[in-house]
Amino acid sequence: MLSFLTPARRGSGLGMAMPALLLLLAFFVIPVAGLLSRSVTEPVAGLQNYETLLGSATYLRIFFNTFLVSGLVTLITALIAFPVAWALAIMPSRVAAVVFAIILLSMWTNLLARTYAWMVLLQQTGLVNRILMATGIIDQPVQLTNNLVGVTIGMVYIMLPFMILPLYGVIKKIDPAILQAAALCGATKGQALRRVLLPLATPGIASGALMVFVMSLGYFVTPSLLGGTANMMVAELIVQQVQSLLNWGMGGAAAFILLVVTLALYALQLRLFEGRAR
Amino acid sequence: MLMNFDKLGAWRWILSGICALMALFLLLPILFIVALSFGNSRWLIFPPPGWTLKWYGELFADPRWLQAAFTSAKIAAIVMVLSVAIGLLASLALVRGRFRGRAVLRGFFLTPMVLPVVIIAVALYAAFLRLGLNGTLVGFVIAHLIVALPFAIITISGALETFDPSIEDAAILCGASPWEARFRVTLPAISHGLFSAAIFSFLISWDEVVLAIFMASPTLQTLPVKVWTTLRQDLTPVIAAASTLLVLLTVVLMIAAALIRKGKSR
Repeated sequence: MLSFLTPARRGSGLGMAMPALLLLLAFFVIPVAGLLSRSVTEPVAGLQNYETLLGSATYLRIFFNTFLVSGLVTLITALIAFPVAWALAIMPSRVAAVVFAIILLSMWTNLLARTYAWMVLLQQTGLVNRILMATGIIDQPVQLTNNLVGVTIGMVYIMLPFMILPLYGVIKKIDPAILQAAALCGATKGQALRRVLLPLATPGIASGALMVFVMSLGYFVTPSLLGGTANMMVAELIVQQVQSLLNWGMGGAAAFILLVVTLALYALQLRLFEGRAR
Repeated sequence: MLMNFDKLGAWRWILSGICALMALFLLLPILFIVALSFGNSRWLIFPPPGWTLKWYGELFADPRWLQAAFTSAKIAAIVMVLSVAIGLLASLALVRGRFRGRAVLRGFFLTPMVLPVVIIAVALYAAFLRLGLNGTLVGFVIAHLIVALPFAIITISGALETFDPSIEDAAILCGASPWEARFRVTLPAISHGLFSAAIFSFLISWDEVVLAIFMASPTLQTLPVKVWTTLRQDLTPVIAAASTLLVLLTVVLMIAAALIRKGKSR
């Protein structure tokens, strides 16, 4: 109410944004723009880096791997996260608090520590293979690391919290009365689930799925430790081109493709989200 | 009925079962590392044939591990201070400012969180090669700050939005200068947001792997870089010991964050 006092005394406030703005311009915008520009200038000006990337089976295979793993990870996390988020929303709050503590602990535990655990668990003589053999599911150890199976398991482990938390937020806000109404109108549990609860939870599933998919597309650490060099994903390709081959043009081109896909999916998410808010 | 736990009937056991399995799936690998770090099997056999503290001994006997941990802590502490300070100013501008394009600026400030870290890492690596900042403390701090700042801005502006600016106006009306009002009225009121932002920023820097791999030099490396280079050679139990200490630190910081939240709600 006294705000007539404030503009003159405080200024517009733009000055306070300057440190962050300058920092990001100098060490984020300019470097990223520089990297992307090298994709069309090195080794010579032109689009030949993109032609190589999109024209060879080896590189297309890497993009295919990236989309395949990200898609699988998204699907599996969504299938697990929906019942979990639903249970968390209606459980006694003390039990839910324990589960939340476990989710947060896993989320904040060092990424390398978690990936290391899976490298040990999934190796040929590892616990997972020994349990599968002891229960008679397999006769001899199966290869679970250095391939996309290992990458998918490791990534599901890392991405689960990012699917559960937004989904929980959406389900928690659903009015129980709506489901009671469905029951009163004679809906069975299966019908209420399919035709009321799932549609109401869809915005949460969609936003969690987009987030997990986009994060998975650009992931580097877990794919390179659990996947090995024969099953590269696009982030590993960028690093390999820049670090081992010193081919900045190709690295920049792969980075540009990843960037465009990422930003396009985020724009889609913002659109969907804002479309609902209105 | 589907939103009432007691009226779910048999479904409630299925849901609870899935939830329990998921919790075990998330928890067991972490407990597994902790157990391995005390096991005496060089080949990481589980359950271990016997128990030992040998891997912790090896960890502390190697000065490179301690040095890396010290470097990590130093970088994370500097990043924490800068991230909270710059994030606070930026949040004040975003929440209280009266200029055009605040929504766009907010979106811009959050982009480093959205882009794959590997792109930022490679781009900064190229820029730092030219500026001679690779393998320096300054280089590490700048790189980590870029990815920590969005989290600080989200946390602090969230706290600022719940604080009524007319209380600050009241202080000014009572004779405080605008900066005095800010320091003595607004800052204490949003202190929980500042503490959370500090913890987030510290953890993000402390755990950062991808940027750190690119910033590191043979003489200057952080703990995650040391873990990374060791992991690529072999799966030694020393890493289990290092990981266990990292888990311990996470638990301590999580408890601190929970206490701050509790203090706020009182």
